[in-house]
Amino acid sequence: MAAKEALEILGKISSEFKIKGEVRRKGRIWLDTPTEGFVDFCRWLKEQGFEHLSAISAIDWPGEGMYELAYHLWSYLDKTLITLKVKIDRQNAVMKSVTEIWDGSAEAHEREIHELFGIKFEGNNNLTPLFLEDWEGLPPFRKDFNWREYVGEKYYDRDNERERVYYD
Amino acid sequence: MPIKESTKLKRLIKAIWIFNWFNSCGFIELIPVVASRWDMERFGMIIVGSPRHADVLFIAGYQTLKSIKRARQVYEQMAAPRVVIALGSCTMTGGMYWDSYNTIKKLSDYIPVNMYIPGCPPRPEAVFEACAKIFQHVEEMD
Amino acid sequence: MSARSTMTEIMNASASTTISQSQPVAEDGGYDLYFGPAHPGSGNFGVKLKVAGEVVTSARADPGYLHRGFEKLMEYRMPIQNSVLSDRICVLEALNWNLVHAEAVEEMMEIEPPERAKYIRVIMAELSRIQSHIIWFGAFCIGTGFETGFKLAFGYRDYILDLFEMITGGRVYPAGYICPGGVRRDFPDGATQKIAQVLDRIRRMLRVEEMENPGLVGRAKGVGILKLQDAIKLGATGPVLRASGLKADVRKDDPYEVYETFDFEVPTREEGDAYARYLVGIEEIRQSAKIIQQALRQLPEGEVIAPKFKRIKLVTKIPEGDVYVRNEVARGEAGMYMVSDGGDKPYRVKIRGPSFLHMIPVLEHLLTGAQIADVPAIYWSLNVCPADLDR
Repeated sequence: MAAKEALEILGKISSEFKIKGEVRRKGRIWLDTPTEGFVDFCRWLKEQGFEHLSAISAIDWPGEGMYELAYHLWSYLDKTLITLKVKIDRQNAVMKSVTEIWDGSAEAHEREIHELFGIKFEGNNNLTPLFLEDWEGLPPFRKDFNWREYVGEKYYDRDNERERVYYD
Repeated sequence: MPIKESTKLKRLIKAIWIFNWFNSCGFIELIPVVASRWDMERFGMIIVGSPRHADVLFIAGYQTLKSIKRARQVYEQMAAPRVVIALGSCTMTGGMYWDSYNTIKKLSDYIPVNMYIPGCPPRPEAVFEACAKIFQHVEEMD
Repeated sequence: MSARSTMTEIMNASASTTISQSQPVAEDGGYDLYFGPAHPGSGNFGVKLKVAGEVVTSARADPGYLHRGFEKLMEYRMPIQNSVLSDRICVLEALNWNLVHAEAVEEMMEIEPPERAKYIRVIMAELSRIQSHIIWFGAFCIGTGFETGFKLAFGYRDYILDLFEMITGGRVYPAGYICPGGVRRDFPDGATQKIAQVLDRIRRMLRVEEMENPGLVGRAKGVGILKLQDAIKLGATGPVLRASGLKADVRKDDPYEVYETFDFEVPTREEGDAYARYLVGIEEIRQSAKIIQQALRQLPEGEVIAPKFKRIKLVTKIPEGDVYVRNEVARGEAGMYMVSDGGDKPYRVKIRGPSFLHMIPVLEHLLTGAQIADVPAIYWSLNVCPADLDR
């Protein structure tokens, strides 16, 4: 099939799935997707040629009580990048896994997000720790874990005049 | 009659054998020390694969909680007399990553250090100057 | 044991006792072998192998020795401070990552750097790519036992580092030379002639008869074959994907800076083994030298930094929004996703390094079923950087 333009792809998506989005510049589509039917939507996108899952990112919005996940997909044929943004609840952070669609690359990304943010992915059996060994405590990348306070208490010496500068 | 510590050192530390613990950013300037521009084999220094054969341990940069445990095990396996040289500013104060939750800030709390070389990363000539100072220091011991 | 008289008696006696005692005990594996954690030329990374005889039955990657939590460190610093921190994401290709961060901030603030700055950035990025491929070649030679190649490669790499020192001030870390808005300072006098001389020397290094060694070829051919379907499924990018047959390069597919004005080829091969990846790397050095020559000829005059950033103001607000930037660093495709909520520090920065997927799924897939003696050749042919993985 011939390469399609970004606007054409966006038109196809909104006619089939009723999802709104925008084309910000040449080759970049941004969509706000709901969580229901997410996995079927991803399967449809993969059949359209979006074979490469570039990254999965997680953002913590404690003020609004949610996590936001962004999936970045690239198509080698059409040369466009689609970003899907999904919102999930912060207290009960569970999301369906996409390892059955992009198996291989999705597993490693989800493992990292589970370790650093605490989000569970249903369907991924390999959510073991990746970077940290014997870490008890909050998942380190959440916004309520203040690094400068933690480092000041654990590593620097309160009574030492020269190290006190790292506190204030 | 027991042999003095300084005599042991003078006999053994004439050509340094370095253990291959290459870790983090500081090691990138240790590789030209091995290669052909600043050749270290002309001073008798070689890189060995086992800590039991080595005299010197170069800790070249930041250490995380996971890797400091292994570095401590390597240090304990080396036979005396042994020297630890700490390269880079991350070993002295925490360096660029001073507010990271996973890196250690002062290496001397974990492994006794004999010599510090400042820099980010230090130039290869600084490594040679450090080795020359070690030789000189050992010579002047009584 | 009583003393034995002849050597053959000793050898026969010890052989008969040891063979009967050394059968592999378990059905599933045999024994565990830990490959790592200190690798010359790449840093700390471990792989846990289960071995039965000489064949590896399973492999699990063990990363995390270099984890600093880069993404959250960037949230505590302003963009001008982040541009100095961004060199250290992967130490072997510092200027390329500098460029990724600068592009992300510029796209968020909707600022365009001047033309001369774009050409200078391309020249520095391609020099950094050449220097990184030379490290790859040197480390691959250690892994396959060709030590002369290692000394030769690192000898030639120092010419490029002298050039970096002349232009940016630092041999390895350029201290944020490529900053949002352009570059920090212009080329000094005589830099363009020196770049041309250094490229001449690099071309002399690439004469393949000097570098091909029967030991290297024998150990790398037919080893670690990655088929195209698996490569796309497991997320390989960069030279690893191009050596398996797909012609994909971010500089051509999704051009950034001024790459669309240059005429260069993207080398691909079909076989997908370690030798094919090595040849792709060597050919990329030639193509990068070609790009630098064209850029030197087309270099225009003018400013090198956008007027908004000319005098460093400590507090610049980043407008709300988010952006995803893709670049081609030496190891593959790099991505940076930056989110801002209107303050002067980024709210979230996500860094996608090429080595993340090369080391966890691809390495585990390639090592299963390989011989122990081939493990270093496969590991170094993937051109991994553990700092990129752990961030």
